[in-house]
Formats: sequence, C-alpha cells, structure tokens
Amino acid sequence: MDTDVLVRDYLGRLEAAAAALPLARRTELAAEVRDHIDAALAEAGRSDEVTVRNVLERLGSPEEIVAAEAGQAGTPDGAAPASGGGVAGTGSRWGAVEVTALVLVGLAWPALFLPFGLFLWLGLGVVGLVLVWVSAVWSRRRKLITTGTVVAAYVLLVLLITPVRVDCMTGDPPQPCPPGGPVPTIYSGP
Amino acid sequence: MVAGETRDPLTELRRGVLEHCVLAVMRTKESYAYEIVRVLSDAGGLVTSEGTIYPLLSRLRRDGLVETTWRESESGPPRRYYRLTNEGGRALDAFARDWTRFRDAVDAVLAA
Repeated sequence: MDTDVLVRDYLGRLEAAAAALPLARRTELAAEVRDHIDAALAEAGRSDEVTVRNVLERLGSPEEIVAAEAGQAGTPDGAAPASGGGVAGTGSRWGAVEVTALVLVGLAWPALFLPFGLFLWLGLGVVGLVLVWVSAVWSRRRKLITTGTVVAAYVLLVLLITPVRVDCMTGDPPQPCPPGGPVPTIYSGP
Repeated sequence: MVAGETRDPLTELRRGVLEHCVLAVMRTKESYAYEIVRVLSDAGGLVTSEGTIYPLLSRLRRDGLVETTWRESESGPPRRYYRLTNEGGRALDAFARDWTRFRDAVDAVLAA
C-alpha cells in the first residue's frame, strides 16, 4: 500500500470539509496539518502503513478539525462562530416575528367571540402563517409542517362550527336551493 | 458540529481546559504547534484529536492572546513559534485562579 495515498486522501478530505472557510485560512490550515503529519512521521522515524494510519487517527477526522475551526462548536465558553467564516451555525433564537407568528396562529381563538369573530380569527391566522414563512429562523421543513397543521386544524374547526344548510339539496323531496347555492350559517352559541 | 456524539464528561472537561493548557505550555517556553501537542499528549492525554489544536491556535492569534514568529528549523520547513502576549498571560493567570477554586470545590464535593 502506498502510504502517500493515505495522506493525500486525508488532505483531500480536509480541503473538501474546509471549503466554506476563507481561502487564506483554508490554505494555512492545510499547510499546518501537512506539516504536522510530516513532523509526526519524522519523529516516528518510519512511514509504513500502520504508522501513517496511526498518525492520521491521532489527528482526528478532517471534519472534526474543520468543525473546531468553524466556531469552536460545543465549547463550554460558547465562543461565537468566526464572523465571515461562512460555516456559522444557524441561530435558533426566536425573535419578534417568530413569537408573533406563534401567537397569531395558536392563540388568536378568543377573537371568535368578537363580532365577525370567525373571519377575524381566520384573518389573524393567515397573517400568522405569512409571518411563519417570513421567519429566517425556522427551516423550510418546519414551515411546511406548521402550515399543514394549522390549515388542517382551521378546516376542521370551521367544519365543526359551521353547519351547512344542505336540506335544499338533500331533503326529501329536494327543495330548490336559494339563489347562490347552499348558504353556510355560522352557529353562534346556544 | 458534533451533535449526537455521546457526552463523555472527560471529553467535555478536556475541551473546556485545553485552551488554557495550551497557553500554559507556551508560558514556560516559546513553542511550535507540534511541540505543544506532544507536551499535552504526554501530560496524560490532554489532547485527543491533535488536529483541533490548529483551529484553537488560530483563534488565540486572532484574540491577541499569543503572538508568533517564523524560524528556520534544522529539519524540514520553517516553523511558527508561539509565545504569550501580556493579555494571554493575564488570561492564563485568571484561569489558574479559577481552576484552583473549581478543583477544590469538586474535590470537596467528591470527598463529602
């Protein structure tokens, strides 16, 4: 086995993992790691396959090294990701948009007790959903799930509280429907 | 990011103190990266993934805690030597005080 291949392969993986780092730092990091490998092999006094593998294993995976570069992930002091590093973690803190969106889609139901409550409530819900999609914090997947859930819940609720007068079509004998078809009436309490 | 990795308390501790152990090694004498790694490994496995020392050193340079000089070596390419700045020295002193208190507190709890 040609041990140069092992080293080249490792450095190639490092380069790929570091693709998002600024060019100057990427080049420097590659040189540092290469020098490290050379120094370790020089110290060992041989470069057979076992020695090379051992040296690379002690280095840690290229991905691990780059992760440490990209913001010292997981360090207890919570050092911020390097600005301009390009591998900055996604912020997960909720801002005004997220909180408002959540309140509108989840907690606007008391609006149902106001005049035109159903429309008010649906309107607020739609605004909430728009905010959900405006959010820069939530992922697309999360937005889709939220939208699906909210729309399903709304449809269900509207069906529950909106008995539709359909006897004009299904009555026996069928009655002629008033102009404009079946008219939904909103159930407004006992 | 190493999310999902099992949280070994020793790994976490090592990660937390590594930065200041690196500073401590340079305080004794101006050192190059490979040398620092060797000292820390020989001191009971303070470094496990040796390659992560380079991102750490890069950050220490950026934060002005260390300064570096390139010097020729008898064998191989020129080496970058690291030494503490005044600020780095102060950071190390502060850590040494905190560490003593921390260690005593943990010892006291463990012995109770």
